[in-house]
Amino acid sequence: MTASAFSRLHQHQTSKPDTCRILLNGIEHQVPVAMSVAAALLYLGQHVTRTHPVSRQPRAGLCHMGVCFECLVTINGQQNQRGCMRPVSSNMSIITTPQGLS
Amino acid sequence: MTQIYDYLVVGAGPAGMAAAIEASHAGLKVLVLDQAAAAGGQIFRNVGHSCAAQEQVLGPDYGLGKPLLQAFMAAPCDYRPLAQVWNIEPHAQGFTVAALIDGLSINFVASDLLIANGAMERPMAVSGWEKPGVMTAGAGQILLKASALVPKQVVLAGSGPLLLLLAHQYRAAGVTITALLDTTPRSNYWRAIPWLIAGLSMPKQLLKGVWLSLVQRIRVPYFTNVADIKIVGHIGAEAVRFTAAGKDYEVPTQLVLLHQGIVAQTQMAQTLACELSWNPVKQCWQIQTTGAGQTSVPGVQVAGDAGAIGGAQLAQLEGRLAAMARIERTGTRSSWAKKMLYQALALRICQLHWARGLVDRLYQPAPWLSTPTGTTLVCRCEQVSAAQITDIAQSGCAGVNQLKAFSRAGMGPCQGRQCGLNLGYLVAQAQGRPMAQVQPLSVRPPLSPINLGQLAQSSDL
Repeated sequence: MTASAFSRLHQHQTSKPDTCRILLNGIEHQVPVAMSVAAALLYLGQHVTRTHPVSRQPRAGLCHMGVCFECLVTINGQQNQRGCMRPVSSNMSIITTPQGLS
Repeated sequence: MTQIYDYLVVGAGPAGMAAAIEASHAGLKVLVLDQAAAAGGQIFRNVGHSCAAQEQVLGPDYGLGKPLLQAFMAAPCDYRPLAQVWNIEPHAQGFTVAALIDGLSINFVASDLLIANGAMERPMAVSGWEKPGVMTAGAGQILLKASALVPKQVVLAGSGPLLLLLAHQYRAAGVTITALLDTTPRSNYWRAIPWLIAGLSMPKQLLKGVWLSLVQRIRVPYFTNVADIKIVGHIGAEAVRFTAAGKDYEVPTQLVLLHQGIVAQTQMAQTLACELSWNPVKQCWQIQTTGAGQTSVPGVQVAGDAGAIGGAQLAQLEGRLAAMARIERTGTRSSWAKKMLYQALALRICQLHWARGLVDRLYQPAPWLSTPTGTTLVCRCEQVSAAQITDIAQSGCAGVNQLKAFSRAGMGPCQGRQCGLNLGYLVAQAQGRPMAQVQPLSVRPPLSPINLGQLAQSSDL
C-alpha cells in the first residue's frame, strides 16, 4: 500500500458519518460506511486489487460499475467478488491476494 | 405457488424508475431488480444520500434525480436492490428472470419485461490501459457521487461530454488536472456542423456544452487532436505519452481517466435473442425497436440508454412511454388525455433523439482508438494483444465468435464487455468488411458469475 491517490471531498458531510472496521489482508482499518469495497481500497491506498492469473500483472478496477471485473477480491471468504458492487460492512474481511483462478 | 408479475423492470435508473412509477400506479404488479445498493442508476447514483458539498461540485443537473427517486420510492411496486440478474429465459407464462440476491439465486416470473439496464463506457484500449492507476472517467464520477472521493491529481484523456463535465466538476472540487488530452478528430467538427441546427433545438444544452468545452480549454492544460496515447509505469501508471499537433509529449501522472462516450449494454436482450443492429452514427450495437421500445421479441421492451443512447432526460421519457404501452395491452381503455399524452411523449422522444445527432457526430470515436495495434491489450481478461487479434483476423477467421475460439479473447470474467467492440473493428479492418456485417460476440448465461452452490440452491419466489 502507498499513499492514496484519492482523498475525501473537502467539507464532505454525510448523513451517515459513521465508519466501520474492516480487515484488509488481515490488517484492521476504519473506512467510511456506504463506500463500495473497491472505493474503500482506493481510499486506503491499496491501488492493486488483483494479480492477473496468466501474466501475474497487477490489476485494479477500471469501471467501478460492475462491467470490467478487474476489482475481483475475496470478501468474507468468497472468492472473485466484484469489489465495486459490494458496500463495505462491519468486520468485513477483504483479501486482495489471489487465491482462486482470477 | 409462484407469484407472477405483470411487468419486470431490470434497472432502477431514470428509465426503469419512470416506467415502474407509471405502471405501478396504473395497477400493474411491478417488480424492479437493480444491481446497485440504491436506486438512481449511474447518472443519479447516490442522489438520495448526497451531501451539500457533493451537490455543489456535481451541479444542478444531478439534483434533478431527487424528485424522480422520491416518486419511485413511494410507488406501489416491489423493488429489490443489490439484485444481479444472471439469466433470463422464456417461461410458460412469460419469462423467468434469475437474480442473485444476498448470495442466493431467486427465480422471478413475469409476463412482460422491460430492459432498462443502461449503458457502459466505450472501452478505450490504449497501450498500458490495464495498469493500476488507469480508470474510466465514469469510474471517477462514480467515486465522487457514491463515496465523495476525488483524486489529488489526474490526467483526463479521450472525448465526449462526460469527460468535459468531469473536468469541470473536478476543478470545482480543487483537483489538479495536469492535462486534458482531447482525442476528438478534427474531421468530426466538420461532420458535426450541419447538425448544429439539431443542437439549436435545445439551446440551453448546446450553450452549456459549448461553455463547458471552452472553459476547460482556458483553465486546464488542454491538448487537441491527441493521438498515440501510451500509459507507462512499472507497476501502476507513472506517466502518459502522446502526440498532439505532430509533437511528442510525456506528462507524469499517477492517475489517468479515460473516456470516449458510452455504448448500450445489450447482453440481456441478446440472451433473449432480441434482434440487434449496428448503429453507424453512434458506433455501437443497438437493440432493434419499434414504437415505445418494443423489441423483436414479444413481451420484451427496452428503454433508456440500454436501447439507443440518449441520456437521462430521454431515458425517463422512454421508460414512461414503454410503461404506457404496456398498460395499454392490459385492455383497459385509456382516456383521451392519456392518448394525447402518449403521442406528445413519443413526439418529444423523436425530437430529443434528433437533437442528440450533434453530440453523436461530434464525439464519434477516433479511428485509431477503435483499431489498436501491436502489444496493446484488446482483451484484458485473457491477455490478448491487438497484434494477435489482427493476425487471426487476417488469416481469415469467420467473425468475432470464431476469433474468440481461436484466441480466447472474450472468454474471461468480463465476458467480452471490454473487448467485444474492438474485436469487431479489428476483424472489419483486417477483412475489409463493414461493421454491420461483423456480428457481435454471442452472449450466453450466466450474465454475471454464479457459483455451483448458489445454482444448486436456487429457489422460486
